[in-house]
Amino acid sequence: MTIALPELDVMVLGALATRDGPVSIRELADELGVDQSKVSATCFVRSGAGQVTVEERTEIELRLGPRGRALAARFPERAIIEALEARGEPVPIAELARMTSLDKKEVGQSLRWLQKKGWAKKDRGTLVLLEAGKAALKATGEDERLVAFLAQRHGEGIPGVMGAEVLAAGIDLVAAKALLEGRTGVIDERVRKRRFVSLTDAGRALWESGVSARKQVNQLTSELLVNGGWRDVDLRPYDVRLEAEPSYPGKSHPLVRVFQKTRRVFFELGFSEIVSPYVESSFWDFDALFQPQDHPAREMQDTFYIGRPGRCRLPGAGVVDAVRATHENGGDTGSVGWRYAWDRDLAARPVLRTHTTATTIRALAEDPRPPRKVFCVGPVFRRETVDYKHLPMFHQVDGIIIDEQASFATLLGTLRAFYTKMGFSRFQFRPGFFPYTEPSVEVFVWSEKKQDWVEMGGSGMFRPEVTEPFGCKTPVLAWGLGLERLAMFLYDLTSIGELYRARLSWLKETPLCR
Amino acid sequence: MPVVGIPVQMLLDRLDAPPGRHELVEHLYHLGCDVEGYATVRRFRCRRCDNLVEITETEEPPVVCDRCGTDFRQTPDQIESLGTTDVVRMELLAVRPDMFEPGGLARVLRNYLGDAPEPPRYDLAPPAWHVTVDSSVDSAACRRPFIACAIVRDIHLDEDRIKVIMKLQENLHWALGRDRKHASIGVYDLDTLAGPEVTYRAVGPDELRFVPLGFDPSSPGSALTPREILEQHPKGMAYSRLLRGFERYPLLADTAGQVLSNPPIINSEETRVRGSTRHFFIDVTGTGERIVNKALNILVTSVAELDPEARLEQVEIRYPDRIAVTPDLSPQEVVLDTTSTARRIGVDLDREAVSRLLRRMGHDVRPMDASHLRVLVPAFRNDIMHPVDLVEDVAIAYGYDNIEPALVPTLTVGAPLAAEEAAETTRRAMTGLGFLEVITLILSNEQANYDALRRPRGDDHVRIENPISVDQTLVRTTLLPGILDTMAINANHPLPQSVFEVGNVTLLDPEAETGAVEHRRVAAGIIGPRADYAAIRSACQALLREMGWALEGDPGDDPVFVPGRGARVLATRGAERITVGVMGELHPEVLENHKLVHPAAVFEIDLEPLW
Repeated sequence: MTIALPELDVMVLGALATRDGPVSIRELADELGVDQSKVSATCFVRSGAGQVTVEERTEIELRLGPRGRALAARFPERAIIEALEARGEPVPIAELARMTSLDKKEVGQSLRWLQKKGWAKKDRGTLVLLEAGKAALKATGEDERLVAFLAQRHGEGIPGVMGAEVLAAGIDLVAAKALLEGRTGVIDERVRKRRFVSLTDAGRALWESGVSARKQVNQLTSELLVNGGWRDVDLRPYDVRLEAEPSYPGKSHPLVRVFQKTRRVFFELGFSEIVSPYVESSFWDFDALFQPQDHPAREMQDTFYIGRPGRCRLPGAGVVDAVRATHENGGDTGSVGWRYAWDRDLAARPVLRTHTTATTIRALAEDPRPPRKVFCVGPVFRRETVDYKHLPMFHQVDGIIIDEQASFATLLGTLRAFYTKMGFSRFQFRPGFFPYTEPSVEVFVWSEKKQDWVEMGGSGMFRPEVTEPFGCKTPVLAWGLGLERLAMFLYDLTSIGELYRARLSWLKETPLCR
Repeated sequence: MPVVGIPVQMLLDRLDAPPGRHELVEHLYHLGCDVEGYATVRRFRCRRCDNLVEITETEEPPVVCDRCGTDFRQTPDQIESLGTTDVVRMELLAVRPDMFEPGGLARVLRNYLGDAPEPPRYDLAPPAWHVTVDSSVDSAACRRPFIACAIVRDIHLDEDRIKVIMKLQENLHWALGRDRKHASIGVYDLDTLAGPEVTYRAVGPDELRFVPLGFDPSSPGSALTPREILEQHPKGMAYSRLLRGFERYPLLADTAGQVLSNPPIINSEETRVRGSTRHFFIDVTGTGERIVNKALNILVTSVAELDPEARLEQVEIRYPDRIAVTPDLSPQEVVLDTTSTARRIGVDLDREAVSRLLRRMGHDVRPMDASHLRVLVPAFRNDIMHPVDLVEDVAIAYGYDNIEPALVPTLTVGAPLAAEEAAETTRRAMTGLGFLEVITLILSNEQANYDALRRPRGDDHVRIENPISVDQTLVRTTLLPGILDTMAINANHPLPQSVFEVGNVTLLDPEAETGAVEHRRVAAGIIGPRADYAAIRSACQALLREMGWALEGDPGDDPVFVPGRGARVLATRGAERITVGVMGELHPEVLENHKLVHPAAVFEIDLEPLW
């Protein structure tokens, strides 16, 4: 019984069986009249079965360069010696152009090659034919032969010619290249890897035992399935090692993915989501948080003030008066206050909110009854000059816990839970100082890359001066953590601008899993 | 925040058991200092005014004296190099300016690290000098009504100490004085003054002349009037804004009429401190009495820490209606509930434990009852407004690392916002359609928000009063500029490109509490040979369908689109029909405005009506 193999495999084995030595895949493909890639794939399949050997050889491939094609018609120095021979005496150099139909520039360049080859020499403005030149008239140089050969092959539709083929044509490649040295753009030489294939003993034995061909198809069609024809054909195997075109799904922005993860973590911890406007009154952004009206953070230099609308409405008189009293003398909070005259007009000035603590303090004012756990993710604005670390906006997650059992220890526990869920394993809590929290803490996480602690955000327990004007005597834990910083950490970014002026290639290449 | 360098050797010399360099940084972290690390600084002295300038190794030596304005490029012999010093660099904390020089920091560390903390005490000699305050410094023409003064005798100065005292003044100007506005400090050589009276009054801008610091008294024309100082002297020009609106300027003069200074601008050359100075006269003037007193307390106690042999002496301040004596170093008394302190921190601490921790932070403590302490806060602490501030000191002394993190045991149920849920649905739909999400800046400008879109400039946007650049003068009212910018940035990226953004736009609304309201929107764009109306409508329609709505196109005349190829997006559901946005092929002029060379189509819709 003969073994059934795909059609092309049979053809390849057959072609190889007629040879003793290796043959290049290209030559084999030419011989079989089949696409080279198909022959190549077949050879690899047979090689896998141990029937053929595929070896890779490095070869030199020569092509005619752009200036080589002009030379192929005629080397200008040959035109010149032919003209000298025809005249039979030294010719003034100025006359050569006219005699040879070369232009003056070509004549000038040719003098170099005439001298190099020793065909002619300059003598008082004339050119004298030498003995070597006379000899050359009767022969063809190796350089000319090489160029002519490459031009001939090019004309036959084979622009790249292997060094071995040149040698086989009887051309002294070394001599030809030496003669062409200095002539740029004539010969283009590349190193090529070529695959050679030959039959193994097992392959020859198989062939001699007899093989029969099966039809091979590229594509499984509906027709083949419906009429059952697929049983009589083979689906041509692929070289499964070849790469496919890359494709990318539509994706959320990496920073949004950090927001999504942040939100998920807080939901898991039992928090509800809240929101507040970007355009905010100074009252909620600063005054309600016990930031004195001359605090540096409130200066025009650091905060965006709004020209239009010009004023915000303030909450009811009870709340405003309680905040005023707290600033001025501590009010009923047990504090000494900031001791200055609080100005209602300054509190009514709109700003672009500088932190989302404005959001959480609004939520507290709205409903201070424990237990409450709320958070928000949103943009905040600072009047920063743009550089790789700063933009006039960034995003924060702010949260508060209003709970009778809240303590500084539970604040640390909440922060630890958040950063653990965000994927950090080493963090440090260090004292921090913020006008509206006491005690305050700054969270640092360990950066393997920097081999140092990196600050992630600030938090603390709201001061009584912050909560009591809103009727809240319960301990309140609060934090505001920068999310760009987290994103730059997770996505290894060096500039915050990359987030807001995204290259699509970066969006595509950044994997979803981080 | 400014970064200050504290000379390491000066600090360690003041500690009984100096920690190693690494341990020192760890302790500073635990105290809340933001340490940048160790550095070597080079020092230079201005020979004309004795100003000391410190630079890090990467900085260039100064070209101009920042005190007297001497140009070292023209007079290179006036700058002297003093060699190098090792410092530990850290960010200055506005709330604790008392611990950012070697004396004050050593005072903190001695108690924090020591076995037997001892509240710092300073002897004060009774006043021999007095300051007469004229009512003119608290008038419509000049308002800088408060002054606090001290005398320090028998101080031994060297370059290190001079530099530290200068830096401390800078720290106090920044942290308490708000760049000299609320408080400014002057230090003088007492031996150049005629006592026992110093007068503090307001003078006319051209009433008198004196030689400002850094000017050579022997050269003609070096004596200037206060007005000339504001106009000509580098410090005068730098701080003239503090006297804006004043018709008369504050002035300190001694019994013989010699000018000490023109606060808060500059001292006189004749009274300046030199290496040979043995006794200081110090003044702090300002707008609030508490702040000038605090600044003086911090300054003199730090000087006493720097030179234990120095003697502090009070000065009597004779206001028109009363007499004060400064410095007043009596402690601030605060009653602390130790039970609530322990509960707030979330650790087990009895009254004794709280007492020990407070002592480690430099406070003196007297027991009151089982759970209350009377805490005596040193007079140089400016950050204790409420007992809760002492709770933080207790927590820091306890050590944040020693607090066991826990979670609040109360169960709560979390819930997302409807707007965010709608945004998530939108993202799922758009990414499912193969669109990539982008985020762009919320601040925009008239050109991008209107002109480049061929839309007339509107007046319903929020305008920034103090923009930082011409690119960011308003809060965007449309997401389209971000989509177009993204296409422009990615001009070299293969086509087609499909991007979207979910974000807020802000519109003025007189009814709103803040005068403006945000709207959650989604915008999407496609660019490439086949980016046409049908393609964008198809995407928009898919999004609406996933949100439970059908789409109808209503012919519109938005100039951003090619005429006849743009539409209003009508969302319909049963009998409901709402216009939610626009879609269409971008006008070639809009493409050209963004240097785009392929057709593009976009939509932008409001999400609010859809959820």
